Amino acid sequence: MIKNITALILGLLILFAFSTIIIVDETEQIVILQFGKPIRTITEPGLNWKFPAPFQTSDTFEKRLLEYDVPPEEILSRDKKSLIIDNYVRWKITDPLLFLKTVKAVPTAKTRLDDIVYSELRQELGNHDMVEIITENRELIMNKVTIASNEETSKFGIEIIDVRIRRVDLPQENESSIYARMEAERKRQANKFRSEGEEEAQKIRAATDRDKTVILAEAYKQAQKIRGEGEAVALDIYATAFSKDPSFYEFQKTLETYEKIIDQKTTLVLPADSKLFKTLAQ
Amino acid sequence: MAVRKIIIGDQEVEIPDFNFKIVPVLFVILVLWLFTGVYSVGPDEVGVVRTFGKFSRVAQSGLNWHFPLPIETVNTPKVTQVKRIEMGFRTLKNGQYRRVEKESLMLTGDENIVDAQMIVQYKIKDPVAYLFNIVGPELTVREAAEASLRTVVGRNKIDETLTTGKFTIQEETKEQLSAILDKYESGIHVVAVQLQDVSPPKEVMGAFKDVASAKEDKNRMVNQAEGYRNDVIPKARGEAESMIRDAEGFKQSRIKRSEGDAAKFTTVLKEYRKAKSITEKRLYLETMQKVLPGVEKFIVPDKESGGLLNLLNLNPSAGKGVSK
Repeated sequence: MIKNITALILGLLILFAFSTIIIVDETEQIVILQFGKPIRTITEPGLNWKFPAPFQTSDTFEKRLLEYDVPPEEILSRDKKSLIIDNYVRWKITDPLLFLKTVKAVPTAKTRLDDIVYSELRQELGNHDMVEIITENRELIMNKVTIASNEETSKFGIEIIDVRIRRVDLPQENESSIYARMEAERKRQANKFRSEGEEEAQKIRAATDRDKTVILAEAYKQAQKIRGEGEAVALDIYATAFSKDPSFYEFQKTLETYEKIIDQKTTLVLPADSKLFKTLAQ
Repeated sequence: MAVRKIIIGDQEVEIPDFNFKIVPVLFVILVLWLFTGVYSVGPDEVGVVRTFGKFSRVAQSGLNWHFPLPIETVNTPKVTQVKRIEMGFRTLKNGQYRRVEKESLMLTGDENIVDAQMIVQYKIKDPVAYLFNIVGPELTVREAAEASLRTVVGRNKIDETLTTGKFTIQEETKEQLSAILDKYESGIHVVAVQLQDVSPPKEVMGAFKDVASAKEDKNRMVNQAEGYRNDVIPKARGEAESMIRDAEGFKQSRIKRSEGDAAKFTTVLKEYRKAKSITEKRLYLETMQKVLPGVEKFIVPDKESGGLLNLLNLNPSAGKGVSK
């Protein structure tokens, strides 16, 4: 009987010993509660201990980076343009004790995050024009929102590592006006290409016509020069030959000219005492 | 049950002496328990061992052993495996694609919209960080990739995005994505970011295609004009050449003819000089013989006997005119 009691006590002791052991994982952090009141946190992984329940209980929290996909929100930019912002948050529980005291669990925390990030984002985006939000300043805006949100969330033992705009879209009705503008822009480009084509083609044709005229004129010039040379040489040859006896040349040429200019239609009135008819008149 | 007495310190304690048969059973259980700690790490994996939840060591490929549960646990992430995320589309089981416009449509810096599809390839570079620092690695990569691509495209204009800027956008997206994942200490390495199809949204596709065909129209018009040029200029050159050849022919012929004429003149002159007076007369009369036949001619007796006035009466038609 005594032995049995001893064994029972031993067994209970072992059980007790085991229930004081807690294993803290790399991915977790633990808050120890004494009669429901948080007394300490364990963030270092490894073996730890506590009094067994019901004296002390433990709550486990994620130590890893947590995600929260904020639902898309319509936000107005400084130039009063409406944008649909879809962003996400990466956050961490940095103070599990505070976290437990203020928000208790992750779903509540997400609601808080939503409120805080949305209001910061709305405020910050309201300071920028739409173009800035789409282009250069996105990184800057996100950093500002991250810092501003952090100030709020640190009250909950939460650190926001990153607020990031995943998508910036336009509301449906604005999208169609963008499409209309894009189409108009392309039409303008297409027209530009076509008229450029016409212009270039016209230029080429005109240049061609000019070149043709120049080529022909050049050829005419050269041809005339050659002809002139021919005439000059001929002239020289004639002059040299005919100057041997100019009066004979004149005589001969006169006779030739008669042959050419006197034909069937010519009416000749010849005096009887002319050289040719002086014999006739006698 | 026997009682065994053992001495702790200077006190003698009695503990129950277990039946001898229970020891081998316990031993077998112990051995079996120890065997549950045997695990293998594949060639594409590493083993990350936690002792009482705390990271203790990394085990390489092969057969390994850890202290069994609950003392040690092991994870074997595949570190060489390259994982792939599709953005803007999904490959279906039958190998076809489905577009996901919600992901692929995005704003460019000049407030246009493009349709861009992307593939991200990543792998684990630090298995410890990968396991202990982030929740939901795939979602993390996807969200960060989407944010990166849109940020980068937002910095570019539509024409760059559609054409020349593609490579730069790809590189910048990769850079930014890597920076984000490093900021999260995710232990993830971005192997590649590949932009797939980057096109105008289907609503305005027609207009974009028309620009392409306008470009072709332009080329066609220019080509036609070039064709005209290639037709006209050689012809003009040919014409020019023929004009010059004509002139050369003229020149030659002019010279030859003048030489001929000169030679003829010189020869005739030589003969003429032999008998000047008679030749002159002969030439004159010969010409008259040739010229005068067939020509209407009047021979007037002499200057004193009326001259041209008399001549009018000889004309038959004039005579008629007078008689009337």
